[in-house]
Amino acid sequence: MAEYRTHMKIIGDILATTRDNLQDEDGATVTYLIRKANISHSRISRILKTLVSQGLLEQLAFQGSNKYKISQTGREFLQAYYTFTNFADNFGLSI
Amino acid sequence: MEFLLEEILNLIGFLIGLTIGIMASIGFRNTGSPTLFRLTIAFFSISLGFFVIWTGYMVEDFVIKSGTIERWIQTLGIAIQTIGYFFIAFSHSIKSFFPRSSYFRSVGVLPLFLVSSVQLEHIFRSVSFILLAYGAIETMLSYLDSRNKGAISVSLGLSCLALGEFLGWYSFVFPESILYPISMVIKIGGLIALFIPVSKVPLTKIKFDTDLE
Repeated sequence: MAEYRTHMKIIGDILATTRDNLQDEDGATVTYLIRKANISHSRISRILKTLVSQGLLEQLAFQGSNKYKISQTGREFLQAYYTFTNFADNFGLSI
Repeated sequence: MEFLLEEILNLIGFLIGLTIGIMASIGFRNTGSPTLFRLTIAFFSISLGFFVIWTGYMVEDFVIKSGTIERWIQTLGIAIQTIGYFFIAFSHSIKSFFPRSSYFRSVGVLPLFLVSSVQLEHIFRSVSFILLAYGAIETMLSYLDSRNKGAISVSLGLSCLALGEFLGWYSFVFPESILYPISMVIKIGGLIALFIPVSKVPLTKIKFDTDLE
């Protein structure tokens, strides 16, 4: 059975992909993130826009398309996300 | 210092609840997670409930000196704690707790205005017991999925809180017995069990960022 992912978990997956699992040093394309984070194009477009506006991701124009890299704020957010995922896990909850 | 034990136990409950509440609050401010927001409300409420009862005993010991705590203060403290227990249970998606009909919702509140503070305390303690038992069972079920050992400690803690509420409720039958202090000790033991896994969460590297959600 497929596991239900909260909005926060999807954001965590996207940020983790842009931190740990990049195609190359220039960042990840939307198509790559869709495949790695297992999410639809329309949904990831909205999330990426939010993450860029919040300063968690850096958007780079590269040969006619956009690529995404995690920012320093994004790294700090991801660290907080893992810490408090563990906190909530202790209560049997998901953040 | 007639109520020294009660004062110490309620103060410990206040401090532990406050500490867990602050940790959940830091998590909410860093991630914007609604789950952490609910846990923040839950533990701040539990902490405030213990604080109200502690204040009641302190005022009784040092100001009024009548030999018994004002019943309405005890009832108020327990009611505030019940709100906290509700938010813990609510975090486990207890969505079917209230009836959908607005008529039944309004009628459901009515009995609270028709009973004395002693009866209200019975109601709050029994509701707390149900919520805590639900939370303990759900947490144990989540342990079976995740195998996170911290969940066992939290489940044990919620079970102790439930037992403490039950004994506190039962102490009405034997008001002068040792049941009430025992219920307080078990409740504090439960809060300590909740605190053990939470205390292992490293917070030292977390930075506040008010720009995030």
